[in-house]
Amino acid sequence: MSNETPPLFGKTRFLEGLIDQFLDQISEGIILVEMGIKAYLSNDEDTDICLEKLNQIIEIKRRCSELRRTIVTMLYTEMLLPDARGDVLRLLGSLFELLDEMGDNYQELMIVQPRRMPEFGQDFADLTNMAIRSVQAVVVAARTFFRMPAAVRDHINEVRVFEDETDKLAWRIKRRIFAADLSFEQRTQLREAAAMIDALADKAENIGDSLSIFAIKRSL
Amino acid sequence: MALIVTLIFLSSGLFLGWSMGANDASNAFGTAVATRMIRFSTAAFLCSVFVIIGAVTSGTGAAEGLGQLGAINALPGAFTAALAAALTVAWMSKVGLPASTSQAVVGSILGWNLFSGSPTDLGTLRRIVATWVISPVLGAIFAMLLYTLLVQWIRLTKPHLLSLDRNTRSGLILAGIFGSYAIGANGIGNVMGFFVEASPFRDLTLGRFNVTSVEQLFLLGGIAVAVGVYTYSRRVMMTVGDSLLALSPLAAFVVVVSHSLVLFIFSSTALESLLASWGLPTIPLLPVSGSQAVIGSVLGIGLLQGLRGVRQIRWGVLVGIASGWVTTPLIAAVIGFVLLFVVQNVFGQEVFRPLDQGLRPAAIERVNGARLPQLAVVAPRLAAHGVTASAASSDPHRLHTTLRPFAISDRVHQHRRGLPAAEDHQEPGDSDDRAGAPSPVSAAMNTAGANLSAAPGG
Repeated sequence: MSNETPPLFGKTRFLEGLIDQFLDQISEGIILVEMGIKAYLSNDEDTDICLEKLNQIIEIKRRCSELRRTIVTMLYTEMLLPDARGDVLRLLGSLFELLDEMGDNYQELMIVQPRRMPEFGQDFADLTNMAIRSVQAVVVAARTFFRMPAAVRDHINEVRVFEDETDKLAWRIKRRIFAADLSFEQRTQLREAAAMIDALADKAENIGDSLSIFAIKRSL
Repeated sequence: MALIVTLIFLSSGLFLGWSMGANDASNAFGTAVATRMIRFSTAAFLCSVFVIIGAVTSGTGAAEGLGQLGAINALPGAFTAALAAALTVAWMSKVGLPASTSQAVVGSILGWNLFSGSPTDLGTLRRIVATWVISPVLGAIFAMLLYTLLVQWIRLTKPHLLSLDRNTRSGLILAGIFGSYAIGANGIGNVMGFFVEASPFRDLTLGRFNVTSVEQLFLLGGIAVAVGVYTYSRRVMMTVGDSLLALSPLAAFVVVVSHSLVLFIFSSTALESLLASWGLPTIPLLPVSGSQAVIGSVLGIGLLQGLRGVRQIRWGVLVGIASGWVTTPLIAAVIGFVLLFVVQNVFGQEVFRPLDQGLRPAAIERVNGARLPQLAVVAPRLAAHGVTASAASSDPHRLHTTLRPFAISDRVHQHRRGLPAAEDHQEPGDSDDRAGAPSPVSAAMNTAGANLSAAPGG
């Protein structure tokens, strides 16, 4: 539970602040994951930068988890958003799961450390870029949901476009991996790395689909 | 002993008040409670308090409207008519049919008129029936306008979801308070209007405040409504929110405001005075059905959403509700007629007094407009006292003495409507000014008084 104590008056503004803070943390986590993967691709080593990013991501996950619990508790105890709090909780929960999955995947990358990944550095960088853009678009869509539900659709469309591109890039990388002169073990590790990054965009698309339904329910 | 008997007779009015509290409170807070924006305990408390305030402070306006339809002149008759209306509402609620208290009351008054052979003022009846069509239509129009304006405002200001939720919640509370006040002001006429003539209370003066017997009667009715709200309205509130169309909190707010506006314009004496002072046609002060206003408002919101909204409306439920609007007054009239027969012939109670076939206030106003001779107008009342018109014209003193009780009665009537006393404002040539016009009785008395002064020794 967060140490944040809701004030006697102005609970709405306080909660709005918490939700904004939660979305900020998610955005920050996404940036850290992107920086961490790029740092790994550029060095092919378990460097200090990579470890530092991993620690930062773990810390952000912890803060997000606390914030989410505080928001959930307040929404229910204060009987706020009776018609939409289920949707809001699912949205925040999905976003946290996305961050959690990104952190876990990055951690896994640090553990497995696929050999010869830098040989496909540019391909993986493009794939990461596209997947991260998809994830960032869904966070923007989530922010929009709280103020202009009707505009969510535009951002969801972006998420779908980026996810499509990510799929294509992942398919191309996998083909190149299996066309290269690599051992089966290396091929499997690299394919798993590409699939992990691709899965982030898929997850973002799923959140986007749910979000578009939440937005339709809230549209006036 | 007489007081106990009176209180026993009042019990049917209290039963009717309870029924109204159980049913009509859902019109003010039902959508808010059903959408879980407001707790039932909060809604019940606010509703009870403001129903009582509305009943005591503004209840007289709409109560007059029913008096024009048919003035039940015997307490057992009032008891029976109120009981018939209450039984109709309670029975229809029990079997799940939508009921309207005001329609049941109108039906029971018509039943009394039929039983007692009293003439029904068809003009007033027409106006009341017209409100059954006008109030849902007005509710729909208000709802469409309000909803459109609110949506535009939200699109312009783009409030956070939580801020919008907070504002909607505050709006629902305020609208519910307004609605409760309107239910008290407009509906108390249905509940206690029967007993106005037979109020067992006396005027009280508490320091600078004067509490009339009618206000005390309406306070009692308001308390009965509040008991109905607390004891039986929860289930109705929970079902009213989505019986016809699933509403968002914003739509719920619009429905309550529209319903309150409709009730307000049909019960506000202040609005009537304002319109009259601007030279505009006034809106008849009549008890209208809050349920009809709510249904009209919900339909308005549904229609505003175009084909999608039309598809979402549960038309089967609407047909059931509309059939209830037709059957309620008929059932109440039949039950009233049967009960009056039983009370008169089995219990030996006098359910009506076959006297005073004189003109009702509404008819007097129409006669005023037609500029009929004063003595011709008051002739039936004089005849009831064995005085012919020719004798009255030749004996001003006798005319003055005979008409005095009627003149006082008319002044009381005007006072209740909040109109200025005719004698204080009447100028020569103002006879067709409705607000300040003297009744024919007063005019005849003035003439008699003038003749008396002019007579030697007068």
